[in-house]
Order: sequence, then C-alpha cells, then structure tokens
Amino acid sequence: MREVDLSAVRPYADHLGDGLVQMSFTLPVPYSLAARRAAMELAARMGFEEPEVVHYEQLTEGYTYFVMYGRCVQTVDFAALQGEGFDIEYMGEDEIEHFAQTHIGRPIVVVGASTGSDTHSVGIDAMLNLKGYHGHHGLEGYRCFETHNLGSQVPNSVLVARAIDVGADAILVSQTVTQQNLHVHNLTELVEIVEAEGRRGQMILACGGPRVSNELAKELGYDAGFSKGTEPHHLATFIVRELAARAESTRSDASAQVAASPQSTAA
Amino acid sequence: VTQTLSELTASTGRLALVGLAKNTGKTEALAALLRELEAQGRRVGVTSVGRDGEERDVIDSRIEKPRVLLPAGSFVATTDGLLRASTIPHELLEDTGVRTPLGRVMLARLEGAGAIEVAGPSAAENVRAVSDAMLAHGAEQVLIDGAIDRRAASSPDVADGLIVSTGAVLDHDIDEVVQQTRDAVELVRLASVDKDAAAGPRLRELARAGESLLVGEDLEPIALPPRFLLTADPERVAQLLDGNPGGRWLIVAGALPERFLRGLLHPVHKRRRELVLVVADPTKVFLWKRGPEWFERQGVVLRTFSRIALEAITVNPVAPQSHRFDSAELRGRLAEAIPDVPIFDVLSSDYPGAHRPSRKSETPGPGQVAGIAPAPGAPLTPR
Repeated sequence: MREVDLSAVRPYADHLGDGLVQMSFTLPVPYSLAARRAAMELAARMGFEEPEVVHYEQLTEGYTYFVMYGRCVQTVDFAALQGEGFDIEYMGEDEIEHFAQTHIGRPIVVVGASTGSDTHSVGIDAMLNLKGYHGHHGLEGYRCFETHNLGSQVPNSVLVARAIDVGADAILVSQTVTQQNLHVHNLTELVEIVEAEGRRGQMILACGGPRVSNELAKELGYDAGFSKGTEPHHLATFIVRELAARAESTRSDASAQVAASPQSTAA
Repeated sequence: VTQTLSELTASTGRLALVGLAKNTGKTEALAALLRELEAQGRRVGVTSVGRDGEERDVIDSRIEKPRVLLPAGSFVATTDGLLRASTIPHELLEDTGVRTPLGRVMLARLEGAGAIEVAGPSAAENVRAVSDAMLAHGAEQVLIDGAIDRRAASSPDVADGLIVSTGAVLDHDIDEVVQQTRDAVELVRLASVDKDAAAGPRLRELARAGESLLVGEDLEPIALPPRFLLTADPERVAQLLDGNPGGRWLIVAGALPERFLRGLLHPVHKRRRELVLVVADPTKVFLWKRGPEWFERQGVVLRTFSRIALEAITVNPVAPQSHRFDSAELRGRLAEAIPDVPIFDVLSSDYPGAHRPSRKSETPGPGQVAGIAPAPGAPLTPR
C-alpha cells in the first residue's frame, strides 16, 4: 500500500493520487450535443484534465444537468494546515460530563441568542434546547451546563448585560452572515461591547451560522466559529476544553507571579 | 510639506490600523507602511486582531487581498500553523499561550524575508501584551492591524496612535461615504472631559469606582443600577432624569450603546438642559446612524477621559465588485469635511511614500474578479 504524502494531497477514487473528482452542475442551455461540449469546455477551464461527461439530462426546458468526472492535478499541503485549531477530537456526552466535573467542577453557564435583526433561532435552539439536533440533545440536557436561550432579535447590549448578570462562561450567537456589512457589523459589535465592559477575558465567545468558518470567527474576534454540520456535543467539547485551558493558564500565571514576586519570598 | 504615513507615525510605538468596514484598504495601508519602514531600515513588529495577508476574502472569495511582506529581522505574532505555512525561517521567541480559532499565537523573529499570514491575539488585553513583548524584544515600532470594523485595539489602553481606513465600500453615494467617515472620525476624536469642565479632575476621581454614575452640579454622584446603560428602555431613562433634575454628567463605566443615547433624547429635550456623558475612551461608544455632533446638537454631549491620537486617514476609492470614485475627488471631499487630519490613498500615484505598481485604471483594482488563475510560478500581479 502506498504511503500518503501529506504535503501534497489530491482527491482519489480508484487509486491514491489519481486526482479523480466527480461533480455535478446545471447549465442554462437546452439539452443538446452542444450543451455537452459546453460542459466539457467548462471543466477544462476549471483546470480538470481528461474531463468526461458521464451523465446528462434535460432538467427542464432550456436547462441541462450534468454529472462529470475530471482529473484534478493540483495538490494541497495538508501537513502545513494541521494544528491550525480545527482538528479537535470531539468528546461524547458522558466524556464531556466527566471532563467538566474533573476540570471545572461547577455548573458552566452558557447564554445564547440570535442577535440583532436575525430572526432565525433554529441554530441556537438546536445547540441549546433539550431536543437538540441529529439525535444529540442540546446543552440544556447536560448536567454540567446551565443554559439561557434568549431567543431571536436580541440587541447586543441586552445580550451582554444578561450574560454578565447570570455570570456566563460562554456566549453563543447565531447569525446568518451575508456579504452585507450589516450582519458582520452586528457580530463585531457584540465582541466590542464585551471588550468595553471589560469582560473579554472571562467569557468564551462562539458564533455559529451557515457561513461561519474558523477564519471568519477569527476576523470577527470570536474564540470559535461553528458552521453547518455542528452538533451540540461539538460545541460542548469546545467550551469545556477552552474553560479548562483558561483555568490552567490563570493558575500557571498566578504561580509564576508568586515565584517572581520578591514580597512573597520575604513574607 | 507632504509627509508619508511612516513619517507621520514615526514616534508612535504601538500604532493601530482600523477600518470603518471590510475592504476599506486597511491591509494596503499596512503594506505601504511596511514598505516605507523597510526602506528606512526600521525593525517592526506586526500583529493582527483578525487575519492578514490571506489570499482571498473570507466572506467573498472573489476578492483578492494584499499580501503582507516582511523583511528579515521583523517580529510577528501569529499562529504556529501560519508560521510553518509561511516557510520563512524564524526564531520562536515565545508561546504566548493565547488560543485563537486558527491556533495558538507564537511570537517569532523572522530570519528571512517573505509573505506571511498574520493572525495574532483578538482580545485587547492580549494585543497589548504581545505588542509590549515585541517592543521588549527589540521592535522599534509595532503595527496592530484591525479586522473588519473592530475598534477595541485602538483604545489608548492598547495603542499610542491610530490610522483610520475608509472607502467607497461604505456607500454608493460619495456624500454618504464622506458623512459616515466624518461621524466615525468625530467619535475617534471625541473631546476630552477637561475641554469645557473644571469638574474634570473630580469626575476622573469618581470614575475610579468603576460604576456608572449620574453626577449633579454639586459633584455628588448617584450610582446607577448595574447594566443600566446596556438595558434601560426609554421609559426608565426618562424616570432617571426626571427623578434627578440636577444631573449634569453621566460617567459611563463600560459600553455606551446607541439605544441608551436615543432614550436620552426626549427627556433631555424636555428638561431643556444638556447632559454630558463621559466614557473611558471612544472605543466604548457604539453608534450606528448618527455621529457625536448630531447628539450634541440635541443636548446629549459625549466626552472622554482618554483621547485617541488619530494620525492619518487612508482611503480606498474602490468598492470591490461594485463601484469606484475618483481618488482625488474623494480625498478632496473628505478633507473639506475633516480638516486637519492628513488623508492618503497609498495606491495613488501622488502618494509621497514608497510605491507598489499603481492601480490599473481600466480594471476594477482591488478585489478584481479573479479570471483564469495564473499558472503556478507566474509573477504575482499587484493586488
């Protein structure tokens, strides 16, 4: 068996490194031989070698649907991408409960809302409510979490005030991010209000939404971003691990200070 | 005498760059500064509250972003993964312990030159800490790049000076771009509490308590309920002012949201007496639609304990995937509205600093639609 070269990976179908990709798309042209030629040419322009139409059919009048194969000659350096933070191993529910009890030992308070003008609360409900999502129940169903779901269209300032009042360890917001600056501004404003209140160091901020990646979360100033496919135990794993890591670094800072302080040795 | 960005900011140890929105040319301003500082042989440190030097925009992948090129000897705060991906030889100085969605932030000194993605700490407190660490390791100046429209790192608690980037992306209407920029700059340059009040020292002393206070002409404070400024609806705001007609100043302990300011308008108007709100610094104020001068005309006056040193404004006359203005006209209009702050387009041929090949006039410029990708090894086109 061939060893995978993680510094140059490409798709594979039959054997490693063959680069085979299957793709499907629709062109707004009538079902015809010319349509087939157009699809071949398009795939070639996308950079695929040996493009092949394996299936095409009329979708509706004037539209043709294609399934194609093509050989991708590009590679990516997977080795350089590892360790960028998104390759977390998720814990199961029992593990999370055990981890929280061992490392945190008190209820973990999570406040969630869809902020600003966003009326979609389904993402927050899936993460927080008992019913949960995909057979995994939400954080409300865990013994280690105390959850507050504030619903939708919550102004940022009200969300932050509530989070401070209940002593939140984490704030979870969901927002559908589009290319409109408004949605992005609403997400950055939450982070900045937490900063202005002097609470950034004490609160984990996580955002979720169909287009939220870790890269976007970083730009927005959040500690994590959760996108499509996230299940409640993914979020729970992140929160308990991050809280434990923060507690750990606070402890080591404190002991470093004690060690460095001349007063403490004199006392 | 026309100066360059680097000359204007030469004495600013920790310099923050903040954009009024995405794609206002903040990273281009950073790149221009880096070119100039390299030519002067100055050792810089660079960090970003977001991510810089990535090839494509995180929301709209059609938009290409400028690379961040650093000379050998530069200091950088970025994640372990991005350091490795840059392939630039470097010496690891510190593991900052700061975790971000992209990995752990390291402090490194580059031993070679090259392009690198910069993703430093996000939280203001950590930004200050890594900036100070880079200065302690020998950086002569630290550049703190912002992200999107985030302002927290421009607080005087973090940075010593600020460059604001604005651009066509704010609106299709040039007048609206000028107005929004003016509002934002008014906020950045909020007047000091000492400007017109002999009460300044006493107010500073009261502010040390760390809670929001309503202060009367007699300088006696009344504590507001916790989170009052974040949560109070107009009715409760009116009750507060009506119940304390002598209230003259309001010391704001944390954030000041526009909702609260709007709630003040009616009661302040009714009592025919202005109220002065004093914030720790301008990054604590959250405005959406109106600038500080508009509120002041309604009798709701904003003042600050700490001021931000605004060094310059940069403009990007191009809105990616959309429209563009004439650079000179946009700068001229901004200069009329905002006198006494130098305004630059670092990609314009009349910019006095070091140049990269100028913007192509017939293509959309920054964020031009990527056509067929260049073959590997093909020279990088500007932008």
